[in-house]
Amino acid sequence: MLLKKKLFLVTSIIVVFFLSACAEKEKLDDGSELINKNQFVFAASGEFKPFSYINDDLTMSGFDIEVGEAIAKQMGLEPVQKRIKFKGIVEGVKTGRADAAVASHTINPQRSKHVSFSTPYYYSGPKIFTRPDSNIKTVEDLKGKEVAVAKGSTYADTASKYTDKIKTYDSDITALKALSSGRHDAVITDFVTGKTAEKEGFKIKGQQLINRSEQAIVLPQDNPNLLKRVNETLEQLRENGTLTRISIKYFDEDITKKPE
Amino acid sequence: MPSFSHFFQILNETKGVFLKAMLLTLELTVVSIILGIVIGLVFALLKISKIKILELISDIYVYLVRGTPLIVQIFILYFGISGIFLLPDFWAASIALALHNGAYISEILRGAIQSVDKGQFEAGRSLGMTKTLTLRRIILPQAFRRALPPLGNQFIISLKDSSLAAFISMNELFNVATTLGSNNFDEMTYLLIVAVYYLLLVALMTLIVNRVELRLAVSDR
Repeated sequence: MLLKKKLFLVTSIIVVFFLSACAEKEKLDDGSELINKNQFVFAASGEFKPFSYINDDLTMSGFDIEVGEAIAKQMGLEPVQKRIKFKGIVEGVKTGRADAAVASHTINPQRSKHVSFSTPYYYSGPKIFTRPDSNIKTVEDLKGKEVAVAKGSTYADTASKYTDKIKTYDSDITALKALSSGRHDAVITDFVTGKTAEKEGFKIKGQQLINRSEQAIVLPQDNPNLLKRVNETLEQLRENGTLTRISIKYFDEDITKKPE
Repeated sequence: MPSFSHFFQILNETKGVFLKAMLLTLELTVVSIILGIVIGLVFALLKISKIKILELISDIYVYLVRGTPLIVQIFILYFGISGIFLLPDFWAASIALALHNGAYISEILRGAIQSVDKGQFEAGRSLGMTKTLTLRRIILPQAFRRALPPLGNQFIISLKDSSLAAFISMNELFNVATTLGSNNFDEMTYLLIVAVYYLLLVALMTLIVNRVELRLAVSDR
């Protein structure tokens, strides 16, 4: 009898666990779904300065965060930040832990299989970073060299085209820090991130810009109405100059316009 | 949760890369256990030396190591001292793990040594053995036998702790699993696979510890 009771208890705990994992979202009038109908919960890593970084009070600031907040306000919702390690963000959006991710995700086919992308909200590109005294200048020089990248980033794919010695870290900053302290031969990361680290005193130097990339907001695939709404909002923010203003604030240049 | 067939398919496809990672995990664990036993024994002996200053050194070491998380120690060895000299990643991880294990092992050994009956020591001395010889021939063998179950426990902990080397980019089991998992947007499958590998290693380790325990129990018969 007691055993049966215990078994029942354990089973119900497991059932509750699974149910809570796929919690219902709230449906809005226009058909889009949000975790909470008054809030726009957007994810970022907080480990990608100056796009997202942590303040002393553990809130996040940065370009991505301000874009996320601008989108929320434009839609008349309360912006809510959600910090998730970069590699877990796509999974987090898929499983409904955040409504969207404004976290500098590069649009690529592998990710597109699992989530939807908005229109690009900025344009950037992966760049090779080395120590100042390095001989590596272009991608050809990377052959046989050890390259460090952030886990779950597209840079690992980029790197694997040129070398098979790849080291992965939890964040781009940690990879750059390791490079700066004399480890590995190069890091491939976003050029703005690298430039910022360089300004902060890391002993690194930017080399070749490998290609251009488009960064977009990540949304779940089963929520097309929210995607439509976010795209409309982004267009409004482009037109009224909000995106340009945020970009100038962080980078002294407008990275939100498509380069010629 | 991934389906069974999907799980076994991935398990089969990735066995090459995971076996390589398992080897690295095993190397990290074995090196850190061996170094850990040496460090542990030294500090256990310092602690029971009855010389105030040596006891203090042992106390401070155990306090510092037990008082800080292993991941912090790994990062200090990896990034913190890189201004002075650059420790290769394998050694940064192994030494951090060894220092960590050493502190716990020293407490295990100290407890075991002190649990050996005082009469044993007196008997050795009365037979004309020196203090060191008594310790080596009489006390330590008995202490080691008593320490074996908690030591085995500690070895298993250090095997699993080696997963923290993932954070300094070492391609051991956990790092390979999370990297592949996030590249394929299939974290859960890879985490379940890596769990299987850890279970295999722990089973192997338990087997070895049990064997040694049986061997050392010969004198009980």
